[in-house]
Amino acid sequence: MSLSRRQFVQTLSAGAAGAWIGARGREASIFGGLEGLHAQGDPLILASNENPLGPGQAVLNAVRGSFSEAGRYPFATAADVTRAIAESHKLKPQNVLIGSGSTQILRTSTHVFTSKTRPLVACIPAYEECADYARLMGHPISTVALTPGSLTMDLDALLGASKGGGLVFYCNPNNPVATGVDAKGTRDFITALLKASPDTTILVDEAYFEYATMPGYETMIPLAVDNPRVVVARTFSKAYGMAGLRLGYAVGHPDAIKKMGDWDGNGTVSVLALAAGMVAATQDPSIIAAESRRNTEARSFTAKWFSDRGYTPTDSQTNFLFVDIKRPCREFREACAKHGVMVGRDFPPYEKSHCRISISTLADMQRAVQVFEKVLAQPSAAAA
Amino acid sequence: MSLTRRRLFERLGSVAAFPMSGEAVAARGREAAEAEGVALTAAAQNGSTIRIASNENPLGPGQHVLDAIVGRFPEVGRYPFNAKQPEAAIVSALASMHSVANNRISLSAGSGELLVNAVRAFCTADRPLVTAWPSFEAPVTTANKMGLPVKMVELDGELRIDIAKLVEASKGAGLVFFCNPNNPTGTVHGAAAVADFVKQVRAASPNTVILIDEAYHEYVTNPSYQSAIALAAETPNVFVTRTFSKAYGMAGLRIGYAVGHTETIAEVNRYRMPFSIGLPNIAAAVTGLGNPRHIESERARNTAVRDFTTKAFQEMGYSATASETNFIFVDLKAPAAPFRDACREHGVLVGRDFPPYEKTHCRISMGTMEEMQRAVQVFRKVLGNTTIAAGQHGR
Repeated sequence: MSLSRRQFVQTLSAGAAGAWIGARGREASIFGGLEGLHAQGDPLILASNENPLGPGQAVLNAVRGSFSEAGRYPFATAADVTRAIAESHKLKPQNVLIGSGSTQILRTSTHVFTSKTRPLVACIPAYEECADYARLMGHPISTVALTPGSLTMDLDALLGASKGGGLVFYCNPNNPVATGVDAKGTRDFITALLKASPDTTILVDEAYFEYATMPGYETMIPLAVDNPRVVVARTFSKAYGMAGLRLGYAVGHPDAIKKMGDWDGNGTVSVLALAAGMVAATQDPSIIAAESRRNTEARSFTAKWFSDRGYTPTDSQTNFLFVDIKRPCREFREACAKHGVMVGRDFPPYEKSHCRISISTLADMQRAVQVFEKVLAQPSAAAA
Repeated sequence: MSLTRRRLFERLGSVAAFPMSGEAVAARGREAAEAEGVALTAAAQNGSTIRIASNENPLGPGQHVLDAIVGRFPEVGRYPFNAKQPEAAIVSALASMHSVANNRISLSAGSGELLVNAVRAFCTADRPLVTAWPSFEAPVTTANKMGLPVKMVELDGELRIDIAKLVEASKGAGLVFFCNPNNPTGTVHGAAAVADFVKQVRAASPNTVILIDEAYHEYVTNPSYQSAIALAAETPNVFVTRTFSKAYGMAGLRIGYAVGHTETIAEVNRYRMPFSIGLPNIAAAVTGLGNPRHIESERARNTAVRDFTTKAFQEMGYSATASETNFIFVDLKAPAAPFRDACREHGVLVGRDFPPYEKTHCRISMGTMEEMQRAVQVFRKVLGNTTIAAGQHGR
């Protein structure tokens, strides 16, 4: 890789302007664009928590099958897909709002549930989209630190900060730290929140739902459909392997879904995404179960590799690891990039010690750890 | 026009009450939801429905574009920013095509997203949206949702944007929306008139942002017309929106863009939804831009179909406005709704109501020549049936 150090420093200083740098996979800007790297051969991208295998042939065939509609506005199809997704959860179309990835769902939630007087409340770090949007709109943001050590959400502190909030962003499992909260913990939190702050809405982002393996982890969809103050976000960008197609959705009570849909509909969702989503939402559940098993195996291998060498990852419930690499993430990232392996961006306040590494195939991870071995063998330039 | 503000808002309110209203905000062609929601599934199955309601290109984007999409299948699991061909490739292609710097271009998921974001970026409670009316509704719908003031300026006698009145209304406005050619009326203003409009607004209200929507640019054949992109690139507070949804045949792929002065583009870009253009969709846009001949032939095809259809209406005794688009706005001398319902009975889906002209005019998009030949037969049948309207029609 001929990516110059100077280029890195320039792009990083631009990106590091705030604690909340960017959004799901802002790595492209960190690396100053991957085009140059791609030109030098395929880099191994472990930076954006994607499914390396993509969506599978049945979904791609459906995309191809949508070509006759490429010139048509896809709104009728959007209604069909909304219904199919709803039915896959045994719900009604009024319970579902689709969007351009869950990105749009997160932005819409922030738009309708926060205001200049009702802040966004979120753990830090957590996935940045809601905070980015709140900042854009000039809405206040309250942040809550994670529990030291385990890097799980500090639910007591989050509850305290949530009173009077417009929206609590509750990312479970939490990106970038990979930890999860079990169903009892989440339910108790929601119950306490609704009691303590009845006008506050909670958005439970379950982007990594399909990858969670911890005992007792469950979706909050049943809670959401019964309560207009609880909304769940899901995406086809992770286990479903469709990050390039841009499809996600919200599940909730019809009142909450209507409020969100009235602000921003699905005019941004392409017919390709809809065709793919129709198949993905109705496919045999064994397909996603197999993807989850594949990920768990590759994740366990990689986590063990780090643990065996004294670099501790958090208890990952996702398709990425958050590893204490005992050196600045930037230094590690830059060194890995020179070997053609792209790892995650900085996540303040952990950017001096931790790196987020996405899980690819087992073969890819076996290749990646050889690079990590080389890079970690070098003493850290910034070692304290 | 005797149109009152109140009636307009009632109208818009009724549109907003439609259960899929959210979709209309960010996109053109809400007929797909309103008319086709019911009709499409059944009728499309036998392939006979003629969809001429949403100003789409009936031929789609062309095989070259579809092949490019398939070429990206191996990367579909990646986010668009990790693509071997990221969004910047569209920006570069557009910059080269329009001879402007990259930072004068903003992309979006269809140009509808830009129209929404323009209102959010530039209008406030004190700085209204100003728009000709009727015109494309997305800016008005957005302003209404946000509770921001809107000034609507009626069209002139030829159903063209009334420039003098629009300039007058734009004083103190946050954003003035100038759709050229204008949807739904199809009428256009020439380059000199547009330049003069920009100059006058700049003089009368220098802080007002001017948005010139050129969604139908590629279909214009009037020699006096010229894109305002060059003007926008060098004039503060002016930008032009374009779309891949019309002549490029990619309405289903959701790609649009804006070109304008750097600061204006930067401001509207702040509101952009991140990576809203899909990874294969990027390839579609780049491939479409790389084949200008395809667009030229689409323009010629559309012009022939438009001439045929306009003439057919003339022969029936109905006149259309001077369309420079892929639709015509026809004076039916009767309300659009019963005409639309009757056409639908015959498998032909035509445009929605456009108040204040819903009692007299209908917007009819151009399908293929073969489709329009069939559609004209339906129009003859429907318009010959005097029970659909209050008045008699000349034949």
